[in-house]
Amino acid sequence: MSDPHPIDPRLEQAGASDESLLAAHEQMLGRKPEDDAHYRKLPLVLLFVFSGLIFYAGTYLNHFSGRYDGATFNENGAPGQAGGATAPVDPLVQGKKNYDQVCITCHQATGLGIPGVYPPLAGSEWVLGSEERLVRIVLHGLKGPVKVKGVEYGAAAMPVFGKVAGSGYNWSDEKIASVLTYVRQSFGNSASAITPAQVSAIHAKEADRKEWTQDELLRLP
Amino acid sequence: MTTASSAAPSAEVTAIDASARCPLLLLLGAALLWLVVSGALALLNLLQLSTPSLAADCAVMTFGRTAAMQQTAFLYGWAANAGLAVVLWLLGRLGGSPLRSLNWTVAGALFWNLSVALSLVGIGTGDGASHAWLHLPAYVQPLMLVAYAAMVVPGVLAWTGRRQPMMFAAQWYAVAALVLFPWIFSGAQLMLSFAPERGVLQALVAGWFGQGAWSLWLAPLALAAAYYLVPKVGGRAIPSYDFAILSFWTLIFVGSWTGGRHLIGGPVPAWTITVAGVACVLLLFHYIVVGINLRGAFACGGSTVLRFIALGLGAYLLGGLGDALTAFRGVAVVTQFTHLATAQSQLALTGAFSLTIFGAIYFMVPRLTGQAWPSGSLIRGHFFAALLGTLILIGALAVAGWIQGQDLNNATVSFAAIAAHTQPWLLIAAAGQAVLVVGNGLLLVHLVRAIACRWLKPAPAIFPEAPTMEVSRS
Amino acid sequence: MKNSLTFFLGLFFALVLSWAGIVFGAHAQLSRLAPYFDENEGKAFPERMPGIAARGQLVYQDLGCAACHTQQVRRPDFGSDKARGWGERQSVARDYVSQSNVQLGSSRIGPDLANFGARPAAVDAQRLTRYLYDQHGGMPSYRFLFETRKITGERSAQALPVTVPAGREVVPTPRAEALVAYLQSLSNVYEYPEARPVAPVESKEAAK
Repeated sequence: MSDPHPIDPRLEQAGASDESLLAAHEQMLGRKPEDDAHYRKLPLVLLFVFSGLIFYAGTYLNHFSGRYDGATFNENGAPGQAGGATAPVDPLVQGKKNYDQVCITCHQATGLGIPGVYPPLAGSEWVLGSEERLVRIVLHGLKGPVKVKGVEYGAAAMPVFGKVAGSGYNWSDEKIASVLTYVRQSFGNSASAITPAQVSAIHAKEADRKEWTQDELLRLP
Repeated sequence: MTTASSAAPSAEVTAIDASARCPLLLLLGAALLWLVVSGALALLNLLQLSTPSLAADCAVMTFGRTAAMQQTAFLYGWAANAGLAVVLWLLGRLGGSPLRSLNWTVAGALFWNLSVALSLVGIGTGDGASHAWLHLPAYVQPLMLVAYAAMVVPGVLAWTGRRQPMMFAAQWYAVAALVLFPWIFSGAQLMLSFAPERGVLQALVAGWFGQGAWSLWLAPLALAAAYYLVPKVGGRAIPSYDFAILSFWTLIFVGSWTGGRHLIGGPVPAWTITVAGVACVLLLFHYIVVGINLRGAFACGGSTVLRFIALGLGAYLLGGLGDALTAFRGVAVVTQFTHLATAQSQLALTGAFSLTIFGAIYFMVPRLTGQAWPSGSLIRGHFFAALLGTLILIGALAVAGWIQGQDLNNATVSFAAIAAHTQPWLLIAAAGQAVLVVGNGLLLVHLVRAIACRWLKPAPAIFPEAPTMEVSRS
Repeated sequence: MKNSLTFFLGLFFALVLSWAGIVFGAHAQLSRLAPYFDENEGKAFPERMPGIAARGQLVYQDLGCAACHTQQVRRPDFGSDKARGWGERQSVARDYVSQSNVQLGSSRIGPDLANFGARPAAVDAQRLTRYLYDQHGGMPSYRFLFETRKITGERSAQALPVTVPAGREVVPTPRAEALVAYLQSLSNVYEYPEARPVAPVESKEAAK
């Protein structure tokens, strides 16, 4: 409004009545585009902007939505990659954790056991030798006298660790494999790792066994 | 258009204004009182940032509580009361008949403001709910919902009983604000206070509520005022009006999807953040159209009302752009968790919302009281205080936030060093806030004087008949 | 727009859509999230918060600590969270499943606290209590969490080593003790499968 006289800020006047305001805008919506030719450039530009934004939105969602997965917290994660499969647990680290929780009480942090009571693991022929026997000792336990590095032990039994009847620990096959790998590769030992598959195979074959004795084990390969 | 009819429908001040006088002045008075309270608390809060020992031994005034009280007084005290007063008034005018059932508004307003006062006491004594935008203690939340429903009754009646069936843009925004807020408010109450969600879902619900309360409640309240007053004062129809409807629905459909934008990098699924970022960018369409539609405000021709609205509109558009930028993870890695995020919310609240509503108040109060504002210099004083205070506050907070963000990303900079780097800017921001408090105090004093003059020294003003609007050709 | 009912239904539909998308969508994915049972450890994570720590969380909430402290660690390549020693991995939704009032926060005027219990600063409860009593840098003192009282009989073991008039001592209130227990309980050390960094396959093999 090109009003020649200054506006009094204390009492501003309306530039249009309410009725005419409503009527004018209603009229504008009903108007056909041909009514004013120079007005038609803007709709095109806005349409272009709008579709550009929609296109951007689609692309961005496609790239960074993490496939709408509830467990994907990194938007760069390719689908299916967010789970744990990409970063396997190191059996040595896991095995040490388990060893330190339980085995350490008898076999000690050094793996040397307690002379005359608990047999050593370091350099033990049972640990470094037959994998078949070793897995069974932890899985099902061992009772009665056992000879390690030429010394007879018999005071304590090896408990049952596997998920079998009478077990106090119910360790999974993976857990047993990791602790065995740790034992075979620590305290100066260096033997091959034990895989969870090896443990599972024996577990499946001999699911409901009681504790082994030395003689029974020695009959195995 | 002919204006002459038996009921003189185009008389500028009508029974519509007179009938609403007392209830709406009550809302405005309460609103401005809360605005000053909130400003004073904000000032204390900003000073505590640079002087942590300030009021530290007083449990009620500890930093975390003053921050929550300040926000509550602003949102539920100032913004709700003032926004509703303006929107009820314009719905009545555009509806074409006096507002009905205003007793509901009065009763609702009493309980609403009582609840806000109770909330501040509750937060001060440790009952706050501590969700962003929802610090209200759980025990006042249902009461506030009922009070709100009562307050908006005349507005809804004016809308359903409107004389002209075709709705104008200001009516879309006004009605959306009136009816959408109770839904998001009750949803948030249910999912946060009464049957709380578990774990990070709380943060997602709070984000949905906070962004919803802005884009479906406060922003539409301010936009309703702007869409009404820009053509009303300027006398020109809204340019490119056919796009306004698209812009409106963009805001309504997309606005509350922005809920996850403050959780970038946080412990929520990546898609919630990505969707929020996309929503912030899609809203740019809304902002562009609003800018084109309301550009008449920038050619204000000496009108203080339009000057305020132009400033508010500028803040609104800038805020929209800022939201879209900081929704990108590459920018958010610096700006998130800093004073810059505070500056952004201040840009929306004290910038876009308050300045627009101030403009509406200056136009509306003379029509309610039937006489001119008592003092022109108080109006000028308030305008310059609001302009200066908002600019200083937001500018200084933004600079402080940027410095803080850069420092935070450099692990060798200690928190003591960050505090030292930002302190000068925080002091400047406090100065800006002080100017704002003074300015808003002027408006409160002025309103009290205007009301007092109405009854003590009645001097009815002359409102000449308003001209007829021509259909715009540009 | 002429029809009030259509308009009203449109508003309602828009809101329901956003609710269904953000709130209900995330709810469907996360509301049944259970603690993760680790066979090797024989424990479920996150571990249940002790009762005193749960009370401390209420103190943390009512003092508005979240106004300055976040409890969310961002992933190592996003910001300096790891470099500042706030955590080795990003916080994930499962970290919070046992908390009744999640305090993610949105401002880092002070350091992040998501993993505070695992940091050296948290080890000594006495020192931590003392920390709340004094002002440190930008963090105000919280003296209202302490009371000065007359010594009756023995001097309390909890008394702070601060100068007070003879015959008196400053002891933490139960609220302060709960807050300290809560801060000590904050930990996100355990590595959930979903918290592991993505796509490390190539880089790991290159490193070996």
